[in-house]
Amino acid sequence: MNATAEHAGSRDLDSRGRTVIDRKVLEKIASQVASEESFAGGSSGGFLGIGAQSDFSARPKVAVELSGNIAALSVEIGLLYPVPLRQVTDQLRRRISERVTALTGVDVRQIDITVSWLKPAGESTGRRRLL
Amino acid sequence: MRQHAGALNRVCLVILGILALAGGVLILLIASGMLHAMSPATVAAESPVVTGDLHAVFGTASAVAIVLVSGVVVGALGLSWILAQIPRRNAADRYRLHQDPASGTTLCDASVLASAVENQINTLPGVVGSSALLRGTAMEPDLAIKVTVNNRADIQDVLQRINTRVIPDLSMALETPLRRTGIQLEVSGRNAISGTTVETTGTVVY
Repeated sequence: MNATAEHAGSRDLDSRGRTVIDRKVLEKIASQVASEESFAGGSSGGFLGIGAQSDFSARPKVAVELSGNIAALSVEIGLLYPVPLRQVTDQLRRRISERVTALTGVDVRQIDITVSWLKPAGESTGRRRLL
Repeated sequence: MRQHAGALNRVCLVILGILALAGGVLILLIASGMLHAMSPATVAAESPVVTGDLHAVFGTASAVAIVLVSGVVVGALGLSWILAQIPRRNAADRYRLHQDPASGTTLCDASVLASAVENQINTLPGVVGSSALLRGTAMEPDLAIKVTVNNRADIQDVLQRINTRVIPDLSMALETPLRRTGIQLEVSGRNAISGTTVETTGTVVY
């Protein structure tokens, strides 16, 4: 009886097919999670990386290295100034790790964070803005 | 803003001074005959210091090589001392802000922090421009700032704002007190203009 049920269960698993997640999906999820934090931002605009501007509403740049079910992430991020950098980056690391693991099942082992700019909140550039 | 080789100069000059003093004392002892009185094996006063055939000593290939190598070493030391006189910025490269590298590294360029400090100083009233430089490590940072103010700025007010706002903010960001802080002030005839617009919350009357 049990043997029949197990056989049926394995047949169900086989018939479900496979789910494959691309590396870019992990990058976008991590990037979105990072941008949801109020103190973090990315870069927007520019051409081929030239002339890009720091922007709190932009998503930070994330690169993922996958080895099996384990991921190592590199995050290039801009932060609010002044904030305690060690504390907020640790908080960000925990948040990204939890969310990426919860959403994809991939084990995030290492997150390298590079702070690329620091800017106060609501800083005016002193120029007219195009709305 | 730039660092000079003051400590190196003092050490080298002290060493050279001690060597010159020892040489001078030796010459005085020889000339007065005290050295000969103390040790009869040494040269007597008013007699040739070097006796014998010098050609036999310096004619050998090994002596030539030794003199050549010593000359090159002394020349290299002198050249490196001259090169050390060039003023250097000695800026910090990257601050490592992580506690446990196994879970990932946190890196922040010292220039990123310096530009945040500059931006903050540039918003102070009367400041025309500024440049900041961070040295040392993330645990023991040194800050050097050059602030250019216009000729009508209240310098005491600028310094007070730097000491009460800018420096504590950097300390908070790095989570450690600054080891040393240097502020260089310059006065310029330029006006402090930080843009062409200003944000307002005034009432619009139609």
